[in-house]
Amino acid sequence: MFVSKKKVLRYFIALFIIFTLNFIIPRAMPGDPITNLLGENFIASETMIQELKIELGLNKSLPAQYLDYWKDIFTLRFGYSYHFNQKVISLIYMRMKWTLALLFPSILLGAIVGTLLGALSGWKKNNMPNKATTWVFLATYSSPPYFLGIIFLYIFSFKWGLLPFKGFYETGTLLDVIQHLFLPILIMSAFTASRNYMIMRGSVLIEKEKLYVVYAHAKGLYGNSILFRHIFKNASLPVFTLIALDFGFLLSGALFVEIVFSMNGMGTLIYEALLSRDYPVLQGCFLIITIMVIAANFIADILYSIIDPRVREKT
Amino acid sequence: MANKNRLSIAILILFVSFFYFCAEKQHGNIKKNILKIGTTRGGFKSASLLGDTFLALFARISNPPLMTMAKDGKLEGLVTARHEVSEDCTKWKFYFDPDLFWSDGTKVTAEDAKFSIKLLAEVVPHARWLHEIINEVYIDEDNALVFELERPYSRLDFDLTTYNILPKHIWKTIEDPLRHTSNDEMVGCGPFVIEKIDLNAGLIRFRKNPYWKGFQPELDGIELHLYNNNDVLAFALERGKVDTYYRYASSYPYPNIERLKATDEFDFLEEPHYGLRFLGFNLNKKPMSDNHFRKAISYAIDYEEIIKLDILGYGEIPSRGFIPPIMPAYKETEELEYDLEKAKCLLAEAGYIDRNGDGFRETPDARKMKLLILISMDYVRLAELVQDYLEAAGIDAQLKTVDYNTWISMKDRNNYDLVVSRTSPWGMFMHASWATGYFDARRTGEGVLHNVDDPNFLKLCDDILSTKDEEKLIEYASHVQDYYARFLPAVALYWSRTVIPYQKRFSGWSPNPLFGLYNIQNFLNLQIRGQDTLSFN
Repeated sequence: MFVSKKKVLRYFIALFIIFTLNFIIPRAMPGDPITNLLGENFIASETMIQELKIELGLNKSLPAQYLDYWKDIFTLRFGYSYHFNQKVISLIYMRMKWTLALLFPSILLGAIVGTLLGALSGWKKNNMPNKATTWVFLATYSSPPYFLGIIFLYIFSFKWGLLPFKGFYETGTLLDVIQHLFLPILIMSAFTASRNYMIMRGSVLIEKEKLYVVYAHAKGLYGNSILFRHIFKNASLPVFTLIALDFGFLLSGALFVEIVFSMNGMGTLIYEALLSRDYPVLQGCFLIITIMVIAANFIADILYSIIDPRVREKT
Repeated sequence: MANKNRLSIAILILFVSFFYFCAEKQHGNIKKNILKIGTTRGGFKSASLLGDTFLALFARISNPPLMTMAKDGKLEGLVTARHEVSEDCTKWKFYFDPDLFWSDGTKVTAEDAKFSIKLLAEVVPHARWLHEIINEVYIDEDNALVFELERPYSRLDFDLTTYNILPKHIWKTIEDPLRHTSNDEMVGCGPFVIEKIDLNAGLIRFRKNPYWKGFQPELDGIELHLYNNNDVLAFALERGKVDTYYRYASSYPYPNIERLKATDEFDFLEEPHYGLRFLGFNLNKKPMSDNHFRKAISYAIDYEEIIKLDILGYGEIPSRGFIPPIMPAYKETEELEYDLEKAKCLLAEAGYIDRNGDGFRETPDARKMKLLILISMDYVRLAELVQDYLEAAGIDAQLKTVDYNTWISMKDRNNYDLVVSRTSPWGMFMHASWATGYFDARRTGEGVLHNVDDPNFLKLCDDILSTKDEEKLIEYASHVQDYYARFLPAVALYWSRTVIPYQKRFSGWSPNPLFGLYNIQNFLNLQIRGQDTLSFN
């Protein structure tokens, strides 16, 4: 058993609390979903507003809406968006597939580059190239994503005319999609890589002082073989947690990249739904993100116990 | 080591080939006579012709409404050939253009219009008010569309500039019209029809309507390119990815104009704007309900500085009558003036004095006065200036910046003292025109203040709404502007000019007051230099 029953129970409690918060938070925000539906030229009678509320299910009491919300979750009915005029599930599917096309390569590249370079940086002597790499990653980590996005777009698209300005594609061919996703993935990978680099570097710096490393030296091993045979595995544990958390972080963090590169992804969907108080869309998006983050953490927990026998023993 | 080098070289070759191919593709983009309009995506949510107000706006060239506003501000038929209204403004009759065809070859009839109006009033939330005013819609023996109204209403022709007409033979079979989305070709009767909507590519493409019998445009099609932010759109414009800029009721960002001028590839349309920015008062609360107080505030604002800082000089100092000179029946009223000493003097005379020496004035009944300026995120810079001016006059004011939805909600609940907001060109004409729609207390809606419940003002609105007599309307318009000048329900902060850049190869632009360059007449008039196949970039 890689994950204990207690832990599984904890996941379910977390899910329940987060789902409840997903219901409460949008409704606790000031404003009203009907406001944006009416426009400027409107002489609204109470009857008319009431009719609209009934149509949107907003006339019911909050506890009744909450019960409906749970019923919808169990029957996998996400309802219709007030503003996007589509089924929430198909709306999320349309946006999510593109956001994932952006996220997976970014997380993967960021993990590979960040952990490898971070491990090498922590292991090697603090020479000039090492310092320069750390400096570059630190600068990337500290830059606002929007700023970095605009700079890259200015150089590659505006100045050099090499890459497109907007959208996920123009013609829809594979190369066309790659062209459009190149810069956004590059930027998001740089961000995830910089975070992973910092964590991995710190982790290796701690691990290399431990006795098993001295023992490995004494055994006759030297150089990178100690790093990759012994230290890497132990030092990479925090990175797994970080990658699991990245799923939630990047879905919202992708908003800035989506704004710069005019992409129609999950980030802008959540942002627009927030601005127009589109409760069904907000609930649907938060629900999916919650499930993804919890699932990623669950997988990270399993990987933890596979990699580190001490964790397995504890569970 | 050798393997490492080989890998590096392979990666380098891969990158160089990728960029070489990209560059080739970017430069080899050959298009016909397509006008590419760059716009921001803000508000554009779905490919629903009925459910998405932004798509409805852009679809006005494919599914034109019954009426339009000409360049000179006069209302004229678009789908209709002419219209007439009864003297008491309760019966309207619209005669149809016999030469209008849907893009599938079917003739446009009064039945299509009747179906569309009924459908809109039934399913579209912001069109439901039509139910309350329209008693009956029918087609008479002249094959004209007749509206019989519940009460006199002289503005129906204006309201019908916004409701798109749909082909009945297509839409009657659609089960849930409000939620119906389509990314493919849509049947329309304008000179251009929607060919494709691809929000993932940020593109809406229009092609010529093969059954369009009117004046033939030089354009083969129109493309709307949607960007998520203005900075990137400005890059795209400068790089030649789009030919012009359009955003409803907005100018091209003023700080970017000089940069574009320097390229020498653009000409600019510079026109007075029908909308404006204003400082609005909550007349239900003291001290805003005090006319002396409002008058004093009007002297505390440095209009010239605001124009210089907020719109880089592209505007002029407004008058007390609020309405900009470009509006029909404009009446010259006293120009607003910055005179801080006079403002202080007026406040002191009205009893607003700093009694406790904290640097801020108290109300005449000696109570502390801290005003709340409620703004949405678009007006921070402007509101900060206003806050400074008030402070200089000894009025303590705090800014509350919220998102637009919260702004509307707080405004409707009277949770504010002052607002900094804007009027749109369309809003200036709505209700009884001359910005009355923003002030009439019987109304509600997104950006409207509905802060005036003075029976004299409400009667003035009703008078306008019940006559079509030109002379009377001019007289009422004059009274409305006098009313604004005398009672200042809001103070205009500037009258601006909109600046729209366009590629020099296009000429013959004719923007209209309501929707700027995005109008059928404009696209029919556009001429293109070197009409053959053109290569951008």
